[in-house]
Amino acid sequence: MEKKSLVKKLTGSREALLAVVLIVLFIVITAINPSFLTPKSLMDMLKNNAVTMVMALGMLCVMLVGGIDISIMSTLALSGMSIGMLLKNDVIEAAPLAFVIAIGIGMICGLVVGLVISRADVPPIIATMGFMYVFRAMGYLVSNGGEWAGAAALGSFKDFATTKFLGINCVIWVVILCYAFFFWFMKWTRTGRMIYAVGSNASAAEVSGINVKNIKLLVYVIMGLLAGLGGALQVSVYASAMPDMQYGGEMDVIAACVIGGVSMSGGRGSVLGALFGSLILATIAKALPLIPFFDQLWLNTIKGLIILIVVVMNVVLQRVADKNALKGREM
Amino acid sequence: MSEYVLELKGITKIFPGVKALNNVQFQLKPGEVHALMGENGAGKSTFIKVITGVHKAEEGEMFLNGKKVEFRGPKDAQAAGIAAVYQHPTSYPHLTVAENIFMGHEIIKNRMIQWKAMNTEANKLLAQLDADFDATAEMGTLSVAQQQMVEIAKAMSTNAKIIILDEPTAALTRSESEKLYTLVDKLKSEGVSIIFISHRFEDMYRLASRVTVFRDSQYIGTYDVNGITNADLIKAMVGREITDLFPKPEVQPGEEILKVEKLSRTGYFKDVSFEIRAGEILGLTGLVGAGRTEVVEAVCGITRPDSGKVYLEGKEVHIKQPSDAMEKGIILLPEDRQKEGLIMSWGLGRNVTLPTISKYAKGGINDEKTERNLAKKLLEEVDTKAVDIFQPASSLSGGNQQKVVVAKALSQEMKVVIMDEPTKGVDVGAKAEIYGIMGDLAKKGYAIILISSEMPEILGMADRIIVMCNGRKTGELGREEATQERILELAMEKGASK
Amino acid sequence: MAGKSGRSINNVPESSVKRMIFSWEGILVLIFIAVNIFCAMFSEFYNISSLLRQMPVYLAEVFLMLPMAYILVLGEIDISVGSSVCLSATMCCIVCNMNAPFIVVVLTGLAVGTVCGAINGLILTKFTELPPMIVTLATQIIFRGIAEIILGSGGSITMSNLDGFTAIAGKVGQVPYILFLVVILAVIFALVLGKSTFGRRVYAIGTNRLTAYYSGIHVQKIRMIIYTVMGTVSGLCAIFLLSSSFGANTTTGNGFEMDAIAMAVFGGISSTGGKGNIAGGVIAAFIIVCLRVGLGQQNVHAQVILLIIGALLIAAVALPNIIGQVRRTVKSK
Repeated sequence: MEKKSLVKKLTGSREALLAVVLIVLFIVITAINPSFLTPKSLMDMLKNNAVTMVMALGMLCVMLVGGIDISIMSTLALSGMSIGMLLKNDVIEAAPLAFVIAIGIGMICGLVVGLVISRADVPPIIATMGFMYVFRAMGYLVSNGGEWAGAAALGSFKDFATTKFLGINCVIWVVILCYAFFFWFMKWTRTGRMIYAVGSNASAAEVSGINVKNIKLLVYVIMGLLAGLGGALQVSVYASAMPDMQYGGEMDVIAACVIGGVSMSGGRGSVLGALFGSLILATIAKALPLIPFFDQLWLNTIKGLIILIVVVMNVVLQRVADKNALKGREM
Repeated sequence: MSEYVLELKGITKIFPGVKALNNVQFQLKPGEVHALMGENGAGKSTFIKVITGVHKAEEGEMFLNGKKVEFRGPKDAQAAGIAAVYQHPTSYPHLTVAENIFMGHEIIKNRMIQWKAMNTEANKLLAQLDADFDATAEMGTLSVAQQQMVEIAKAMSTNAKIIILDEPTAALTRSESEKLYTLVDKLKSEGVSIIFISHRFEDMYRLASRVTVFRDSQYIGTYDVNGITNADLIKAMVGREITDLFPKPEVQPGEEILKVEKLSRTGYFKDVSFEIRAGEILGLTGLVGAGRTEVVEAVCGITRPDSGKVYLEGKEVHIKQPSDAMEKGIILLPEDRQKEGLIMSWGLGRNVTLPTISKYAKGGINDEKTERNLAKKLLEEVDTKAVDIFQPASSLSGGNQQKVVVAKALSQEMKVVIMDEPTKGVDVGAKAEIYGIMGDLAKKGYAIILISSEMPEILGMADRIIVMCNGRKTGELGREEATQERILELAMEKGASK
Repeated sequence: MAGKSGRSINNVPESSVKRMIFSWEGILVLIFIAVNIFCAMFSEFYNISSLLRQMPVYLAEVFLMLPMAYILVLGEIDISVGSSVCLSATMCCIVCNMNAPFIVVVLTGLAVGTVCGAINGLILTKFTELPPMIVTLATQIIFRGIAEIILGSGGSITMSNLDGFTAIAGKVGQVPYILFLVVILAVIFALVLGKSTFGRRVYAIGTNRLTAYYSGIHVQKIRMIIYTVMGTVSGLCAIFLLSSSFGANTTTGNGFEMDAIAMAVFGGISSTGGKGNIAGGVIAAFIIVCLRVGLGQQNVHAQVILLIIGALLIAAVALPNIIGQVRRTVKSK
């Protein structure tokens, strides 16, 4: 009986399990290297992973309706590169305007992706695979064939990432605000619940008067918006814009969601899960160089393995749970 | 005030190429339970969708309490107090019961969903229905019967005055059906009018006061349930009298072919044993969920049993997957024709030859000519109503689809044919033809296992009947000793003692 | 028990000439001709001999389209192929630089690819609940990640012994060997998918997996074979890639999965399974190859070419759907 209840707990509250994993990770890493658990080190970690953390929220929405978006980092590059070039050529100067433009470009990209998926019924993986190359190429075109916008060219914009408000870096404030908003949005608003409803049973949602196509469109627009925001953050945090930034980074975002318990088939997942998922991933990335033998080169392989292990574990746990449920059945 | 809460006149609905409803009428009195019957494809579902605003009729008028109404979408119908509960609850498995009940009309204050208020309200509704679960439970963890209860609670939460129940008992066990009957009675006593669609005469007699019959997209008539007989209704539904529904041939059973000994699979069935002879039709019955399908699936290698032995012609066999079973001469014709039996978008011919293509392929390359000839021969043998072997399986009616499934089994040398609910969703006329085929097969020396929930079918066709309950074999009856009552008693043995 | 009603069911197929002309493959042939005329008009260097000379670089990817077509017909997807190519190419270079004979290098490439494919197949057939998309997404990172580890901080490797690779880059007259191999493989893959028992079963699985299983088809075995072959072919692709690049780096094979899927989907193979044939895929593949050669001659940036192929992929799936929707709305009116 004890074993069964443990299994039930593991499958029951994903968030609790993730919190435990995160704490264990923290303890282990601090034991190896005490400098890990200092406020500065943690703040740096949050700041450097802000982009992934923010975009995990968008991926959560997309995956909740059973979709996927692998074009996001190209959207990020396009929007980030656009403002980089605008700042470099002194077309714009003010940081807020740069943010608005980046978000705007991201939303347009998301809108196009969403229209192709929701209106033309193109499978999300194929549509976003195409757009991954289209947007990335557009980023190159915007950059005049591979130019960078370096720190000097960005002017006051890069200061955003070094400014503090109430002792906390502005970039981290953006992350906090995003998570607070989505926590409210997904749980307490009708639109948020509609996203869950469509992911859980699209045809039922259709019958009960929810416009499924618009919800599907909405999640990709949200994703695009956050990718645009991510573009601005990326340029600001690293004080440079280049067309190949965050190449392959969509895997981090997907991995964060998968670790956070967001189901690939839709309907299941939470903001808290996405938060823990991206924190766990960030912690592992930060801790890897501290462990002897492994170095940064191993990072991708380990990320891939984590995704694989998590999805396989989900299946195995589900099978165990099903089997236990059957054993409990009276005959 | 009008005599009827709901009245529809001259409703015609046209889909590209077909008239799904042709000048149909319907009247619903306040507080009555009105059964709607007809063969599959008679237009009942389309009619319901017109009432609930999912489809818009090309012609005709609808009156609600005497006032003419026109629905532009499901929301209009909901607002007008019409709710529908479907056979397979259209719920959200990942969301809570409360959310399912209030989907589309959540309790909202200051643009925030009021979870507490919703849970309290939902629990109140569930208490009225004597539900044994909480509003915060996840929908996906409930049984089908419980989910239907949630759907009914949902209808009540919208203060529906007219509730449509679309084949609600089809997926329920007997005791669950009883519970549903009480629920319907309760709703009726509260002044709710109910439209009840069902294939079961039993449901109709128990609940309805009047019954309306549709046939071929047309209105046939409305009758009082008092004083109508099965025969009258069948005649109204099929337009002719069915004689000799069960052409059971007299076959002297031959050698024992298949023997199953103490077969068990954890959680599904336990210690099931039976044997069957050539030319024999063995009925396997029990309530839905008794484990009948699971037993034959284990015999055919679709799933693996945990213990037990299977003997074919006296020799023990180890069947690990469906292809093993077929090689040895055992084939299962699954219950769900569209998902498991046929490839609906494929031509009939390719469907028929699918299990056996490798047998007449030359060096791995298909011999299409032989294939086409074989398909033609087999499809004609089972008398499929089809024009050519290239038309897609989806273009056939349920009964003819079932014949194609049978033809699939005939494409190879078989000893045991297992038919799982072969007449489910098949109209009365085609049913008789399928029984005919079954009889012919028995005469040819096939051993046939017939799984069915329909009592007359089992009693009419089977030589011997095995009854299962809760995963166990509870009894075996010969053709002579079997009666409806005796079978029911065995089928509910465990359930009654609980 | 011959049919009681004596009804006769037709089993003679319609003549297929008309169907062939108005099929998607027919349209593709027209597009192919149009693309070639277009390229010839805008590039003075574009002619048969320049096409044959510049083609081999792009032909390696056509290999990938062949097994990818099977995977798409199954209703599945493999986005790890680009990474398998990268890993195979890397291993080939390493083995080659150990002065191994050429045949060993080739076998290494094929073996590494096969193992990659088999890993995908094994995970997908053991855990059938998992969608191929997420599994191959994970292995995509892993395979390339392993290549990154092997290549070390430099991130690239060049081969020291090129004899074998220059040999397979050879020609008969003007026609490169690889074109022969592409054609031969295409014919084999087309025959197996279109005419063989195996192919019929692949279509059955792609259209209705459960029915296929109930009809006695070894669904998981067939999936396993196809994913493994996909891996082997990516090894083959890597070998021919090396015959023109003579080295590998961490970006080798980037985007190959999209090219292969784009070729197949553009060729009329449904991304949701059960429909399409190799012939369409091959014509589409050659359209893309010609387009790349033509655009390359005009010094169009590689990124722009990727943009065009990406747009082509989306349009190839979206347009038929949109046309279908419009047709339905017109009909219902």
